[in-house]
Amino acid sequence: MRRILAIARKEFLHIIRDKRTLIAVLAMPLLQLFLFAYAVSFDVKDIPTAVLDQDHSVASRQYVNTLQQSNYFKITQNLGAMSQVDGVFSRSEDVAVVVLPPGFGDAITAGRPGPVQVLIDGAEPNSAQLGQAYATGLSRVYGFKVATDQADAKGVNLAGGGLSALTRVWYNPEGSSSAFLVPGLIVLLLTITTVQQTANTLVREKEQGTYEQLVVSPIKRIELMVGKVLPWAGIAALQVVVISGIGLVVFQVPFRGSVVLFALSSVLFVLCALGLGLVVSARASSIETANQLAMMISFLPAFMLSGFVFPLTSIPPVLQFVSYLFPARYFVVITRTIFLKGGGFDVLWPQIAALAVYAVVMLVLSSLLYRERA
Amino acid sequence: MRMPWNPQQPESCVPDSLVHSDDAIVVSGMRKSFGDFAAVDGIDFTVKKGEIFGFLGPNGSGKTTTIRMLCGVIEPTGGGARVMGYDICSQAELVRANIGYMSQKFSLFQDLTVDENLKFYAGIYGLSAAKFAERRGYILEMADLRGREKELTGNLSVGWKQRLALGCATIHEPRLIFLDEPTSGVDPTARRHFWELLNELAAGGVTLFVTTHYMDEATHCNRLAFIYRGRIIAAGTPHEIKDELARDTILQVEVADGEGALAALEGEPGIKEAYMQGAMLHVNVGERSAAEADLPSRLGSAGFRVLGTDRVEPTLEDAFVHLVGKQGGRA
Repeated sequence: MRRILAIARKEFLHIIRDKRTLIAVLAMPLLQLFLFAYAVSFDVKDIPTAVLDQDHSVASRQYVNTLQQSNYFKITQNLGAMSQVDGVFSRSEDVAVVVLPPGFGDAITAGRPGPVQVLIDGAEPNSAQLGQAYATGLSRVYGFKVATDQADAKGVNLAGGGLSALTRVWYNPEGSSSAFLVPGLIVLLLTITTVQQTANTLVREKEQGTYEQLVVSPIKRIELMVGKVLPWAGIAALQVVVISGIGLVVFQVPFRGSVVLFALSSVLFVLCALGLGLVVSARASSIETANQLAMMISFLPAFMLSGFVFPLTSIPPVLQFVSYLFPARYFVVITRTIFLKGGGFDVLWPQIAALAVYAVVMLVLSSLLYRERA
Repeated sequence: MRMPWNPQQPESCVPDSLVHSDDAIVVSGMRKSFGDFAAVDGIDFTVKKGEIFGFLGPNGSGKTTTIRMLCGVIEPTGGGARVMGYDICSQAELVRANIGYMSQKFSLFQDLTVDENLKFYAGIYGLSAAKFAERRGYILEMADLRGREKELTGNLSVGWKQRLALGCATIHEPRLIFLDEPTSGVDPTARRHFWELLNELAAGGVTLFVTTHYMDEATHCNRLAFIYRGRIIAAGTPHEIKDELARDTILQVEVADGEGALAALEGEPGIKEAYMQGAMLHVNVGERSAAEADLPSRLGSAGFRVLGTDRVEPTLEDAFVHLVGKQGGRA
């Protein structure tokens, strides 16, 4: 125990002596938090839109008004001819062009569906997809309004018959990006710190030649590992608290689940990440290799294969399979469920069990690798 | 009687009959192979308690592998050794607790202060607070670091680092210390100071196992072993090893183009060995022969300008060149 404390104390001194490490573990996560939460916004509002009204009817003007009032579209210009559309897109003036062809008003008045063409600049797929969805939705709303207006005029009560689908978004009704991102971001930032730093710690010692001294001392491998990892576990805990706190206070992310369950699963996740870091440390021959490897197995999977940004169901099956090999995907589900849905152990036990198994495997593996490399 | 199931008396690769109470290290048939390559190829030697034992050999000859085995860091693939009475295979942890180890890298944490380094190693070896206070005082005195306790180790001069490293390696007062090229890269004054410290330790009964490639340092040792290609090719006191050449004559030749002269002499009749030692050409002409007398004229007629020829006492270096030559290879 005294030996573990001696290692932990020394490791802590290394951290506070090294300004770069200190900045990397304290300032960087905050920077990334604000960067991601503010800059990476998936909310699409005020899509710059051009209108080409070839119909010039009451109905077409009403339709354009509906668009204008929706907040989703911002009409910047009215075009005169179809030939201008290419220029609008290539100069990036607008992302969408709404074309109301001649006969739109007549079709509506005649009770036929009014054709509307929505052209979208696909260079930015995310906005394009959302813009498309909004436009379709709005057209439907407008169409329904027209239909009811006409029905009213004819004295037919549509409310009695007909079908209407009411869509309600649960857990994150405003579709807020920060509510979606912050819980995932905790996972990402935690992964980067713990894997990267633990991957470095032993390699650095090997490069300096101090590892040589430690292996001839009576210290056991397990004591060395625990001692080295202890300060990082503390820093990881601090990061979880700070990032969650900022998420709750600054970004108004709800926290609906159990704090204890969150703390517990965080500990499990940190153990997994530390284990991964130690495995890298045992294998890597230089700090550069360690950093590269840590990047490969921590940052990339936590970013791409965790469901943090991209839904896991939409990535290719092979990568879906790969994603099971990294702990981030389990923990993203856990944080989102706890923060946004308030889900408990009864729904999260598969993920928690996966993390527990993962942690045990990693720690056993790393201690075996250490012995081998003695 | 040894009980195989009794953990107090683990099976040892070294028979008890070989181990005497005044032996610090007993090595018996120890070997270590990495794949097909035998880094250490069955070596035997004994180090007595209180001895300064020099372990010499060119780079890649198996020195470091031997030390790592004796420190209980890696297991031999054959044979074994007892270190301070403990078996290096089955009691590696006890071996490690009872030895000190210092390498040329000094193994100090540069970003920690002198005190923090000492405290760290005290923690690793489990020293009590009282014991640490006593040892700390002793080491600061010994390394001449009083008043610099709060200084970052990285800012110390090489000589201070070296003495602090020795202090850290001996904080638990081991009775046997392994020193792996402890003086490489250190200036001559600091080296002399360091050897004074080692002699003090030895005077206190501590056994020192030292590797070095400075031949003048080898003469400080009570006994030497020379390892070459994984085998010990000579062992004994420095005097005994030099005696290998007692019947040979070594000529030190000062010649303008040493390398050229060396090439010209290679394989010539009457020339046993020829090699550069510093700026001088050393020629072993074997037992007194005609070669001794006509060497300058032979070189002269081959077009080399000979500035002087001296008959010199064989040094340890001469002896090792000779020993390596006998193995059919060059160091």
